[in-house]
Amino acid sequence: MPNFPSPTLVWVHGDSLSPTNPALLTYPDAPAVWDEELLNQWQISRKRIVFIYECLLELPVEIRRGNVMEKLTQLMQEYGAQKLVTTQSPSPRFQHICQELSRQFTLEILAIPPLIPPQKYLDLKRFSRYWKVAEKHIYPH
Amino acid sequence: MQREFASREDLIAYVTQVFPGAKGAVSETVGGRRAALHKLAQLQPHAYGDTRNYLDGAVTHLSPYLRHGVLTLAEVRDYLQSQGYPWSVVEPFLRQLAWRDYWQKLYEQWGEGIWQDREPYKTGFTAADYGEELPADITNGTTGLLCMDSFSQELQTTGYLHNHVRLWLAAYIIHWRRVKWQTGAAWFLMHLLDGDPASNNLSWQWVASTFSVKPYYFNQENLARYTQQKWCMSCPHLAKTCPFLGSYEQLHKRLFPHAEFPQSHSRLGTRR
Ligand SMILES: Cc1cc2nc3c(=O)[nH]c(=O)nc-3n(C[C@H](O)[C@H](O)[C@H](O)COP(=O)(O)OP(=O)(O)OC[C@H]3O[C@@H](n4cnc5c(N)ncnc54)[C@H](O)[C@@H]3O)c2cc1C
Repeated sequence: MPNFPSPTLVWVHGDSLSPTNPALLTYPDAPAVWDEELLNQWQISRKRIVFIYECLLELPVEIRRGNVMEKLTQLMQEYGAQKLVTTQSPSPRFQHICQELSRQFTLEILAIPPLIPPQKYLDLKRFSRYWKVAEKHIYPH
Repeated sequence: MQREFASREDLIAYVTQVFPGAKGAVSETVGGRRAALHKLAQLQPHAYGDTRNYLDGAVTHLSPYLRHGVLTLAEVRDYLQSQGYPWSVVEPFLRQLAWRDYWQKLYEQWGEGIWQDREPYKTGFTAADYGEELPADITNGTTGLLCMDSFSQELQTTGYLHNHVRLWLAAYIIHWRRVKWQTGAAWFLMHLLDGDPASNNLSWQWVASTFSVKPYYFNQENLARYTQQKWCMSCPHLAKTCPFLGSYEQLHKRLFPHAEFPQSHSRLGTRR
């Protein structure tokens, strides 16, 4: 971590544990918060925690543990950061946390490169309908 | 939290100490980008299409890395492209990758709604007919059915199951033991290294028939074939008391006596 106040802080969550995560690439110094509540809620087993921990160890991040909202707020203050950057996730829990955070800070949510380009309309009723569209865009042929 | 560890054992000891609530075995599957790229380099798209339904088929074990974004779906696709594989070779694999994308898109729309039955059961039973509790003989691996007991143990020790095994185990829990899919899904999420609310719950719903036109079920012949008889050969239930014995028509009558649905083949990343 830089020992000077950084205006931006990166939050790495469990859906994006890669060094090529767009938030880490754009803002190289970052803390990661361990989402303990979620672990309890899911009763996540030891093998999953070890796996996630090993992923975190390859990232240039500081690992914190606890309530995500509290920890992030605390870290923003510690580093004198004004802006928080993270990557998108479909998880409703993530959406909720982001809503709360954006009340307090400038929040930037970066997109993950998609498998197929965004479509104006995509029928998701069954996989076969989705695939009819997806197979045209997924690979050059 | 600590970032420097002398060895994997050290890390495991630390995790055990700081997360005393987290129980159970530790998987041999190592986390991180390096391990993910190593697995990616071993991908055999030619063999994948022909063999992926077999337990010893050329499946990739990339799921925990994709689940946690250590690798993205787009990166895997770009890798295949960089290797110059034509569409005909990569199509079967990309179709499976796309299942993940599809489930994630539904998750975006439905949020916590992925825990609710998306549609009624098509099994001739209602949700109230299914139990809430996971029977202890399943988690303990003491049903006496060599296949299911082994699957249960594998889930809990390695955190990985082959797609076909997930289908069989889920179908056994829902249709043979008449347990709610939500109960089984929560158990899987505890243990799978790739445990993902969308892929997991919606696959369970697909097996249950609450997100498909009919339930997924299998018979002994199907399981024996794709496992090369690994368990059936030495199973005391094989010839007479195996609950999976019989034709699909016979099993339909036994499992779903009040249900009408077409007998055609099912597909969820696998065929019967
Ligand atoms: C009851 C049940 C529960 C499941 N729970 C999960 C889960 O929690 N997390 C999870 O990632 N997958 C889940 N799956 C889907 C599938 O079984 C696994 O993704 C696959 O077995 C992982 O092994 P692999 O990486 O060797 O797969 P490969 O066959 O090598 O496939 C490559 C990748 O494609 C994706 N993929 C393949 N098949 C599917 C599929 N049917 N649905 C979604 N993605 C797929 C995965 O990301 C996988 O890593 C579940 C399936 C069932 C039937």
